[in-house]
Amino acid sequence: MSALVAGMDIGSTTAKCVLLEGKEIVGKSLSPVGVDIVKDAEVALELALRDARRERSEAAFIAGTGYGRYKVYFGQLTVTEISCHARGAHFLFPGTRLVLDIGGQDTKAIRVGSSGEVIDFAMNDKCAAGTGRFLEVCANALGFDIGEIGPLSLQARHPLKVTSTCTVFAESEVTSFVSRGKEPKDILAGLHASIVSRSLSLMQRVGIEPEVTFTGGVSRNEGMVLALRRRLGAPVNVSPLSQFMGALGAALAGQARCEGAAA
Amino acid sequence: MITCGLDVGSSSTKGVLLEDGRRILGTAIEPTRGNPAAAARRVLEVLGEEGNVLTGDIDYVCTTGFGRSGLPERDLQVSDITSSGRGAVFLFPGTRHVVDIGAQSSRALAVTETGKVTRFKMNEKCAAGAGRFVERCSKYLQVPIGAMGPKALDAEHPRLISSVCAVLAETEIINNVAEGVPLPDMLMGIFLSLAQRSHALMRYVGIAPEVTLVGGLVHNPGMVRALSQTIGCPVNVSPQGHYAAALGSAMLGRARKLRIEQGVSPSAAVA
Repeated sequence: MSALVAGMDIGSTTAKCVLLEGKEIVGKSLSPVGVDIVKDAEVALELALRDARRERSEAAFIAGTGYGRYKVYFGQLTVTEISCHARGAHFLFPGTRLVLDIGGQDTKAIRVGSSGEVIDFAMNDKCAAGTGRFLEVCANALGFDIGEIGPLSLQARHPLKVTSTCTVFAESEVTSFVSRGKEPKDILAGLHASIVSRSLSLMQRVGIEPEVTFTGGVSRNEGMVLALRRRLGAPVNVSPLSQFMGALGAALAGQARCEGAAA
Repeated sequence: MITCGLDVGSSSTKGVLLEDGRRILGTAIEPTRGNPAAAARRVLEVLGEEGNVLTGDIDYVCTTGFGRSGLPERDLQVSDITSSGRGAVFLFPGTRHVVDIGAQSSRALAVTETGKVTRFKMNEKCAAGAGRFVERCSKYLQVPIGAMGPKALDAEHPRLISSVCAVLAETEIINNVAEGVPLPDMLMGIFLSLAQRSHALMRYVGIAPEVTLVGGLVHNPGMVRALSQTIGCPVNVSPQGHYAAALGSAMLGRARKLRIEQGVSPSAAVA
């Protein structure tokens, strides 16, 4: 019987935890991250254990990733997000050769080898443009919830072009579109297209090769998925677990370490 | 001869009435509010009252700034780079380097003793390093924009901001608030971060004394201290520095008008 391994991805806005037993995900959790990252990480683990109806003592190994990974002091292993996303994507879609991960405040394009290893990556963590934050700020400016904007953007009939790269300037551009009587759905389509453009330039830096797997919180946005598909002219893998890709990768790394130790 | 310079910026429109290229008869500032023509006309009106000059007595109107082509009745328009160089040298004749921080863009200029720009570098793509960043900080720290500078001077251990991006910096500042970092330390950190952005542009152009700061931040003593500390030399500041580009465009308008009067073809008139 294989051991129960926890993978934790402590991001800038949310903490994700996946419990893996063999090839099966037996529990998971998604919870907010505030100022007290240590406590939020504990909570994420507890929630996942409750989801799996398991006890803390049953978890044989805990691996952490994400920007707050060093705060998972109760874990035995920390792994970079890049390798976790590659591992996680490969686990769910073995044909993955390129991972696009758009998170709350950074975006990564990762070239992946046939066994899920990282070949190359490009990352933007310096600027909010092209990240989930960009969508969040602009959705707020339009008075929408982040969950509403994707479906709405798909209804656009006359998509607008957002010319500003900077999130702050794009926010003003959105406001000026509104004052000129433009439809929110057309503005939203423009905002989604803008993120796709930014992502594409990151992806081109590592080389675009099918299959492309889209992960991170922003991949939950169907407007983004469709805009990306159209722009690439190719299918894009998206999993309902896409937000858990980092945590899953961490669990897989933890599992590999466990098996290595046992062998 | 009375010339008027109007600097139609993204946030505010500034105007200067200049007599014979030497004497400032009046200055005025009004918010642009997305309507350059209306703002420019309001400024013209205020200038007329303040300078006691009838609109008909203004010999030449020269516009500059991002909305410079928005006023149909202008006589001439010049780039904001050319005009802020001239204006800065008018205010401080020893100026060889100008830092111009606007609401949406910032630039560094190397200038000659006549105010001619020989080299420049500009950032208009990103809000980091622009006045807009300060406006946003004022909003979420709930400190009136005019109080930020004086308060920053009380900083004992300025809290530097590691994020370059204005949006990501916001999160960082909010974390600092949660951590209980004293307000003056946060404010000085904000100005030091702006100064670092400016310094990057300035180094690109090459820094030579004297350095003159122009734009809305001249009224902010925190920014002035942060800038001179960061670049390691004193910075000229004048209360009229906010009007440098408007002033420069009034000067350039006068130069053009003089040449036209001397019979030089208008297209060759602005050097």
